[in-house]
Amino acid sequence: MPVLPEYDLSGKTAILATSGGKEAPFWGQALVEAGASVFAVARTQALLDAVLKSLPSSSNGAVMDANLPDSAKHVMAQFDQSHDKVDILVNDARSMYAQPLEEISADDWDAVQTRNAKAPFLLSQQVLPRMAKAEFGRVVNMISELAERGMINGSAFAASQAAVLALTRSFAVEWSRFNIRINAIGTGLIDTEGQSLETQQEELLVRYTPLRRKGNPSDIGPLLVYLCSESCDYSTGQPVYIDGGLNAHP
Amino acid sequence: MGAISMLESLSLEGKTVVVTGGGTGLGRAMVRDMARAGADLVIAGRRTGPIEEAAAEAESLGVKAISVATDVTDSAQVANLMKTCLQQFGKIDVLLNNAGAVSDNVRKPIWDLTDEEWDRIMRVNLTGAFYCSREVSQTMVAQEHGKIINVASGFGLRGGREIYMYCVSKGGMIQLSRVLSFNLARYGITANTIVPGFVPTGATDSMAASLPRGGEFLPNGKLGKSEDFGPLAVYLASAASDYMTGEMFIADGGGLAAGITPTGHAPVVALEA
Repeated sequence: MPVLPEYDLSGKTAILATSGGKEAPFWGQALVEAGASVFAVARTQALLDAVLKSLPSSSNGAVMDANLPDSAKHVMAQFDQSHDKVDILVNDARSMYAQPLEEISADDWDAVQTRNAKAPFLLSQQVLPRMAKAEFGRVVNMISELAERGMINGSAFAASQAAVLALTRSFAVEWSRFNIRINAIGTGLIDTEGQSLETQQEELLVRYTPLRRKGNPSDIGPLLVYLCSESCDYSTGQPVYIDGGLNAHP
Repeated sequence: MGAISMLESLSLEGKTVVVTGGGTGLGRAMVRDMARAGADLVIAGRRTGPIEEAAAEAESLGVKAISVATDVTDSAQVANLMKTCLQQFGKIDVLLNNAGAVSDNVRKPIWDLTDEEWDRIMRVNLTGAFYCSREVSQTMVAQEHGKIINVASGFGLRGGREIYMYCVSKGGMIQLSRVLSFNLARYGITANTIVPGFVPTGATDSMAASLPRGGEFLPNGKLGKSEDFGPLAVYLASAASDYMTGEMFIADGGGLAAGITPTGHAPVVALEA
């Protein structure tokens, strides 16, 4: 099966950061399959362990609690012990939260914004100047399409996703000149458990999705790899949605 | 890349792709990379010379390729194009609606535009894609799969100085993809739009004259190349994009992300007390 060598990530070093959810291990797998070596960053030890399990045994990582001062600096200090450059940064900023407005506490609001928006902000602040110095970088922020749409009980989460989309655009305008490309992947529903189509279609939102199924990680992995590759040279500051057609729904 | 499970879906081996406007510019670059990724190709264009060359180049890369002289504004010629593809390859997996008029786009104040000038660009840039999509639709429904890729422009999302038909027709391409995607999803057919920013090709010289400098106005600091669109088109033509439909893939050097701010605008404002 001929696959264009342009998608190859051999020799590239990626930082893959996750704020939550079950999908980050698959992004690690996609990056590794394309040839990259991956340093994992996660909000909790359990999330970190899950990502590391998907990576070659020589891989390492760090826990990052964005509530703590200098958290991103500490992560980069750990990164520097085993790596000498960072080519790719993937922020999976989709720790899910949905509550009716009157039940969202100020603490929960802060937690959602901290893990989903502040953590990618702080990491980008550390990584982008390094990429600029090396005159190469690819950043992909994984967000939900709720960055652009409303959903009942989704306010706090949607605000965090829109924040990361705004960061994507602003960072791109500020940093693309240094051969850095910063884009986002917007996702809809994703199944990581291999649910049957019948089970999936019991959910209203799946029946509402034009392609009438959930996405699976292998639907997203190749797009992530393309956006991380050198051949993705003219796209920057843009979200690419891959959601079974939900965005085109009336 | 070694043994790859997730990324093998980026191959186009065994797929048949129809490309309009495939002889020159972006179309030619996309044809070349789709051939490298293993696709058989049917290359359409008004002029025979460039499409014959494109087909010969694709064949030299080890795939089957034919050229079919086609004016996409003539639905009978579009019907012939798809019939020829089916006779030769027995299926149409991907339709890439890339044909478009740039160089002869008329730039005038609206009060000077004639009916004919409006109709001509709308027909080449939008009606042609409608004819092609309509023509392949039932074939793709019967196959229970298919991908339609429309090539629009950043001007399809913003206004351009005295660029009426180009902006409107390219905006129409984005909407054509959305409506196709919504209605054909149930048949396993997807439709997406490539949205290029400014890319100098032989056809765009008239527009280049009105753009400042050589790409310094873009966040990327440089203009795009036709070659930037090859791996992107391969991705959208491949099974790797099966879950994407109705979407835009924008590649414009960051122009739309910046949008309202002129080049170099970098205010510094301290936090208000």
